Amino acid sequence: MSMATARFTPWPRGWSRERRSTATMASAVVLMLVVLWGLARALAFAPEPIGSNAQAFADGARVTVELTVVSGLAGVVLGILAGLGKIARVPPLRWLAEFYVWVIRGTPLLIQVFFAYFALPALLPFVKLEEFGWGCVALALNVGAYNAEAIRSGLLAVPKGQVEAARSLGMNRWYTFIDVTLPQAFKIALPPLVNNIVALLKDSSLVSTIGLVELTGAADLLRSKTYLPIPSFVTSASIYLLLTTVLTHFSGAVERRFDIEDKLG
Amino acid sequence: MTADTGNGTDVASESKMPASPLITVENVCKSFGSVQVLEDVSTHFNAGEVAVIIGASGSGKSTLLRTLNRLERHDSGRIVVDGIEVDDDHRHLDALRAEVGMVFQQFNLFPHLSVLDNVMLAPRRVRKLARPQAEARARELLERVGLAAHAHKYPFALSGGQQQRVAIARSLAMQPRVMLFDEPTSALDPEMVKEVLDVMKQLAQAGMTMIVVTHEMGFAREVGDRILFFDRGRIAQDAAPEIFFGAQQDERVRAFIGQVARA
Repeated sequence: MSMATARFTPWPRGWSRERRSTATMASAVVLMLVVLWGLARALAFAPEPIGSNAQAFADGARVTVELTVVSGLAGVVLGILAGLGKIARVPPLRWLAEFYVWVIRGTPLLIQVFFAYFALPALLPFVKLEEFGWGCVALALNVGAYNAEAIRSGLLAVPKGQVEAARSLGMNRWYTFIDVTLPQAFKIALPPLVNNIVALLKDSSLVSTIGLVELTGAADLLRSKTYLPIPSFVTSASIYLLLTTVLTHFSGAVERRFDIEDKLG
Repeated sequence: MTADTGNGTDVASESKMPASPLITVENVCKSFGSVQVLEDVSTHFNAGEVAVIIGASGSGKSTLLRTLNRLERHDSGRIVVDGIEVDDDHRHLDALRAEVGMVFQQFNLFPHLSVLDNVMLAPRRVRKLARPQAEARARELLERVGLAAHAHKYPFALSGGQQQRVAIARSLAMQPRVMLFDEPTSALDPEMVKEVLDVMKQLAQAGMTMIVVTHEMGFAREVGDRILFFDRGRIAQDAAPEIFFGAQQDERVRAFIGQVARA
C-alpha cells in the first residue's frame, strides 16, 4: 500500500524513522482536514452543475470519511476479538468467531447493509440509531470479519519463543499479549488491514442505498436533479481518489513506524 | 556482580554444605505422546551452585530445564522452586517465573523493542518499577554485559552474541534467584561463543545459582560445580567435574565426551 509514498520523504535527513512516520501521519491527518474543509471552496470554482452544488459534495465527503473512521476503528477492534476467537482454545468462542466470519464473508455487503437498516431495528428495538449508526454497524461488522483473518494469521505468525520469553520473565497473559504478541501480530497483519480499510472507504458507498447522503448519495441526487450523470460521478469518483490517496499516505506512515528493520527503505 | 543482582552471593560459600535445596525435583516423569522424555528424575539444586547438564540431543536435558519454570508441564512427580510448588496455579506460576530467569538458545529478544526496552519491560510490568528506576537498572546491567553503547539499537542490528548478552541482562533485570540456560551458545557463530560464556562465568563467580544445558565441555569443566549427564530421560551420572572428566568409568559417557570434543 506504500507504492505511491515509498520514495517520498519530505522530512529532513537527520530525522529518525519514528519522527518521520509521526510527521507523515500528522501531515496526512492535516491534509484530510484541509481537503474536507476546503472542498466546498475549491469546488465552488468548478463549472456548472458542480459549482453551485459544491457544498453537497463537501458534506457527502465528510460523511464518507466519518463512516470510514468510525466503522474502521470499530472494525479493527472487532477484527482483533474475532481473530483471537478463531484461535481460542475454548470451542464455543472459536465457533462463534468462525460463524461470524463465515456469514459475513459469504453474503453480499449490500444485503448486510439492508439487514442492518431494515431488520436489526426490529430485532433490537431498544437500540435507537439513525441511518448513519446502522450504516456504521453494517460496515464495521463487514470489515471486522475480513480483519479477523488478517489478525489471525498475524497472531499465528508470532514465534512461540516470544510468548515463552515473556512468560518466563513472569509476565502474565495480559501483558504478554499487549506488550509482546499483539504489536508483532499487528505489524504482520498491517498490509492486509490497510487493504481492508481502503476497501471500506470505497464500499461505504453502498450505504447510500439506505438514504444516507454520503459522497455517492450526493452525486446520485445531483444526477437525478440535473440529468447530468457525467459531471456528477466524475466529481465523486475524483473525491474518492483524493481520499484513498490521503488514506494510503497515512497507512504507509503507519507501516513505516513498525518497520524497525528499515525494509521499506 | 554486586549484591543487588547476585542473589545468593553470601549463600554461595555455604552451598557445599547440606543446606535446604533451592530446587527440589522428585520422581518427575514426562512424555511427549508415546515418547517418554523424562523417566523418574529426582535431584536437587542448591543456592549458589552451578549445575551443568549435558547429554545427547533428545536425552531430556532441555525438557527438565523447561519443566522447572513450567514451560513444559510434568506428567507426574513434584518440583518445588524456592518453596513454590510448580503446578497449574496461576499465582504460583507468575511468582515462580519472576524468580527463575531463563536464557534461550534462540535468544527470543522482543524484535519490536529496543535493547533498553527489552530489558526494562518485565521489571516495569511485573515488579511495577517506575520508568526511571527500571531504566537505571537496565543501563547498569547492559554496562555489565558490555552493551551500554547499544541500548537504543533494535535486536536485529546486533550480532548473535550481543543478542544473547542482552537476553541475559533482560533475565537478570528481574533479579532472579536462579538462572536457567538452555543451550545458550548453540545458535552462535564460533567466534561469539566466548563473549557469552565470559558473561556466564562472571555471573557464576558472583554467586548466581545457575543450571546450564550446554555442549561446551570447557565451560562445564571450568565453571560447573556439578555435572549431570542425561541419557534416555534419566540422570545417568551426577558428579563433580574433576571426577566426571577425569576418572570416567562409563564407556558411553567417554564416547559422548569424545564426540562433543571433536565437534
